[in-house]
Amino acid sequence: MSRAAHPHAMQPHRPGSTRTAPPQMPPQFPSQGRYLSYSLFGATGILYLMAGFVALRAVRALGEGPEAWAALQAQFAHPLYVAFHALSLLAVLFVGVRFFRLFPKAQPAKIGPAKPPPRPVIHAMLYVVWIAVSGGLALVLAGGIF
Amino acid sequence: MKTLLLKLEPIIWLLFGQGILIGTMLLTAWLAVVGVGIPLGLVDAQALDYERAHALGSNLVGRLVLLGLVALPLWKGAHHCRHLSLDMGGAERDAIVAPLLYGVATVGSVLAVMAVVSL
Repeated sequence: MSRAAHPHAMQPHRPGSTRTAPPQMPPQFPSQGRYLSYSLFGATGILYLMAGFVALRAVRALGEGPEAWAALQAQFAHPLYVAFHALSLLAVLFVGVRFFRLFPKAQPAKIGPAKPPPRPVIHAMLYVVWIAVSGGLALVLAGGIF
Repeated sequence: MKTLLLKLEPIIWLLFGQGILIGTMLLTAWLAVVGVGIPLGLVDAQALDYERAHALGSNLVGRLVLLGLVALPLWKGAHHCRHLSLDMGGAERDAIVAPLLYGVATVGSVLAVMAVVSL
């Protein structure tokens, strides 16, 4: 069995002779034209990171007992927390819409012998799963089921 | 460090991809109900009183959902923040930014496992 490929295995030993222009940022970057939604998509990472740690706080509070859980719920009612969560929700919806539009385009032409379904079908399937998972979990959390 | 990050890239990309896909689906419901609905009175707070919340979160499925809810968005966030830093500030500082962000996501994920196990 051969060794695992080294990450730099395909790198040439010395730079090629072709002259290349120094890389430059497009003048529209980061806030004009299509770069705006690209930059916002990247910036949602900050909110995801923060939302993950806030959720971690909630899980830890749940493990610490009823007093800690009640205190956390009281803190979540603070307007700053509500604003943060509302902004994060907008970011999550934006990421979902953008990523699920991108996902079908990123599929290979063939997966082994099989061709993936047409792009609109993949797109629709992603929305069905998103609505089913999020809707189901929201119903559970809100006391609608279980 | 660069070589290590390149070798870990498949794992980082797996966690990042699941952070977008699964993390987005889980966060949508969590933020809508726990972050906005209950505090604004749109959802009855009794739905997540301690006994019910603990019962939901402490079974096997509940623990897996909570782990995904916490850990996967951390990896999505860390990877996108790294690329935001690359786009805005260039590649020079990536040697510090990338390990820092992935380190934060790793620590958060370990804490999430500990928190979920202790429920």
